[in-house]
Amino acid sequence: MTRASSRWIAQRLAQMLLVLWVIATILFLIFRLMPGNPLVAYIDPNFTAEQQRALVHEFGLALPLWQQYLLYLKASATGHMGQSFFYHAPVAQLVWETLPNTLILTGGAVIVAYLLGTAAGAFFAWRRGAAAEGIGIPLALAARAAPEFWVGMILLAVFSFSLRWFPSSGTASPGVQYASVWQQLTSPDFLRHLALPLATFVLYLQGLPLLLMRSSMLDVMEEEFVVMARMKGLPERRILLRHAARNALLPVATAFALVIGYSLGGDVVIENVFSWPGLGRLLVKAVASKDYPLAQGAFLLIAAVAILMNLLADLAYAWLDPRVSYAKR
Amino acid sequence: MRAQMLRGAFVFAVIAALVVGTGPGRTQAQASRQVRELVLVTWPQAADPQQYEAARIAAEGMRKLGLKVTVRPMPWEQLSDYVWYNRQKWDMTTWQMVGRPERSDPDEILVNLFSSSTAKDGYNFIGFIDPAYDEVAQAQRSATDPERRRKLVYEAQRMLAEKQPYTFLVNPKSLYAYNNQVWDPKTIVDQKGIGIKNFWTFIQATPKGAQKDMVLNAQDPVQAINPLYISGKVDSWVTELIWDRLVRIGPDGLPRPWAAAAYTWVNPTTLDVTLRSGMKWHDGRPVTAEDVIFSFMAPKGAKVPMYKPFVANIAAIKALNATTLRFTLDRPQAAFLTSTLGKLNLVPRHVWEPMLQSLEGKKENAESLQERTPIGSGPFKFVSWTRGQEVVLEANPQHWAAPRMHRWILRTVANVEAALGGLRNGELNFLSDYLGDPQVLVRLSRQDPRITVVASTDIGFQFIAYNERRPPFNDPVFRKALSMAIDRTMIRLVAYKGYGVLADSPVSKALEFWHAPGLPQLPYSVQAARDLLKKAGYDWDSQGRLLYPANQTETLEVAR
Repeated sequence: MTRASSRWIAQRLAQMLLVLWVIATILFLIFRLMPGNPLVAYIDPNFTAEQQRALVHEFGLALPLWQQYLLYLKASATGHMGQSFFYHAPVAQLVWETLPNTLILTGGAVIVAYLLGTAAGAFFAWRRGAAAEGIGIPLALAARAAPEFWVGMILLAVFSFSLRWFPSSGTASPGVQYASVWQQLTSPDFLRHLALPLATFVLYLQGLPLLLMRSSMLDVMEEEFVVMARMKGLPERRILLRHAARNALLPVATAFALVIGYSLGGDVVIENVFSWPGLGRLLVKAVASKDYPLAQGAFLLIAAVAILMNLLADLAYAWLDPRVSYAKR
Repeated sequence: MRAQMLRGAFVFAVIAALVVGTGPGRTQAQASRQVRELVLVTWPQAADPQQYEAARIAAEGMRKLGLKVTVRPMPWEQLSDYVWYNRQKWDMTTWQMVGRPERSDPDEILVNLFSSSTAKDGYNFIGFIDPAYDEVAQAQRSATDPERRRKLVYEAQRMLAEKQPYTFLVNPKSLYAYNNQVWDPKTIVDQKGIGIKNFWTFIQATPKGAQKDMVLNAQDPVQAINPLYISGKVDSWVTELIWDRLVRIGPDGLPRPWAAAAYTWVNPTTLDVTLRSGMKWHDGRPVTAEDVIFSFMAPKGAKVPMYKPFVANIAAIKALNATTLRFTLDRPQAAFLTSTLGKLNLVPRHVWEPMLQSLEGKKENAESLQERTPIGSGPFKFVSWTRGQEVVLEANPQHWAAPRMHRWILRTVANVEAALGGLRNGELNFLSDYLGDPQVLVRLSRQDPRITVVASTDIGFQFIAYNERRPPFNDPVFRKALSMAIDRTMIRLVAYKGYGVLADSPVSKALEFWHAPGLPQLPYSVQAARDLLKKAGYDWDSQGRLLYPANQTETLEVAR
């Protein structure tokens, strides 16, 4: 790595921190501007004024806003993130407990969608005008355009409630516990539970890599080096895989960061349809119950993941295409 | 020139009309007697179609009295904040009280909902102030003789029916379902006012075949499993199985001895309790009189805030011998058995004393403590808890009322349709939380004979609450006229699809012992309501809008 490129990376990291700080500040303000009050979750005939005051004190809501803000920044910077109002447990613990489930589902779906999407995109470009393209493209578009909760419900109705091939909710059968993440990942029970949410998610995500790959392939196939390869008499398969597809992948790789950001939105919906115990459901509940610390913590973590992925995509781009350089000229 | 003058006069008239706040053609005196536009807040249709529909039908009736009524849906977080913390601002709201076993005693509802002492920042959010009512409500609280107390409870209900602080809509029917091939229907218990999802079903349900685990559902995740923290409603299903109580509310809705073998009132402020012998904590240690005393005295400190109100009246507890305890109260408290002995969980002192001590000098209280393996003495033992997914309990064979099932597994299913599908494909065998359309569930049970649905009238009730701080809602005659102009039968049939009984009191008809018979029913009649208003001096202007009585004018802005 050259000196210029390491400086560039350091600059990008500094920018990342700045963006995170801005997001943290917006989060802090936005939850406090929302109508409602975290105490309403406790409304009960036996809820006394004395209890109200005790709660306000315990939640730290009695402090002036600027003090709350400083405490929050400190907590976020140390990764502690405070105590959830709703669960009365540390936010960090709640987030770490549910994060693996979300990463498995989202990460798995993004990878599968990319593998299937780029392969199908390359195939459709290669077979431009064939019947396969005429059927495939509208199908891919329809799957992409359908709301993900609707697709999820259809899959549930068919494969779970009618055919009974797959369970409808959760990550494990009743009473089943996994000792480790590795054991969970390799357990057939878990994979059966993963199947439907993953399929819904892949259908939701596949459109972007597929269409991007196809149009990028169509461009590349016009280029001289492909014509040259044909003139050399190379087999079509080899031209497709070694020459055209490889070059067409570049914009698709850049869009990876975009897909990650996009998938986080889909994750919230899909986790709710399939009762998947992940970060998305934690987030929905936290926002609904005005659990400021938990909502802030979960959103901040999601923002950090999205920003990090953007950085990785930039780095990957330069690595894939040596014509792109980090250094400013 | 003349045209200009005319235009100027017109502009002036418009400005004047805007300032006065009425259209042209009405006199000043009439305008200010006119009742302002009234706002009825309710849940959004998507979140609670029943309350939303009820609000729309109710508003339609009110309009027939010459009122301008706007129905304004708000998300629950916003609505509760508005009604609860802005007590001078709102006019009317739909609201509900949910059924809970402890509410089988009318004390909590009669006192906390309508006492002047809770009007400022407690549950009397409507600001209902009536010294005569306060007296009766307090008198029933200290009447330890059940017959005398029942008379006072009837009296309180009659006063409320007369004053109509709320328009009572329905006692909804709670719907639950189970798989009758897995559970023997004879062993499923329907508890009065609660339904078949109750403690008695859980300890008595007997498996018919190889499936010995009960798999139930709840829409909300479990927040905490903590005997000293009243958290979400779902959490209470778990805690009441792990931790025993001295008294349990029986299937008939009345208290019965449980961990207490017997109890006797020595006098109205002294209760002797004999403990059942041979009880053991789940870690094998015996349940002692000291443990029981600790369970009731710990909330008197500062670290168990939610249970504190329930033990406030206990002056002292003394162990007369190894199995007999004497409770001394500050004041007579008739509902003590239900609201305190039936409410507090018995906790092991050897577990909780050190945990509470570790909190000394800290901001946190017992609610932020979570045992890794909760230890109680109840009929079920804790096995595991996977957050957002499930809680697993297993039967405690050492318990004197050992359950017949093997495990009790509560699954979090966020999606109502998925819960129904799960009942059909066997993933669930007991539908314990269903907020969807009742007709869908009933249709499912018709198609699939394995599924039994049980609907039972709930202790809870749905109502429209009026802010009595804001005229015209301070006038009982006006409130009564509203109740008569609202077609409650239509609400029962359309909004609740017939799954509910018309309510006439905050005490549910399901509580046969406490519900006052022969309360005035206020049948739907717009004409009778208008006559009532007319008699009280209300009038109507030429547009048919309702006017206050002659000596009264509108003083308030439209609710925002």
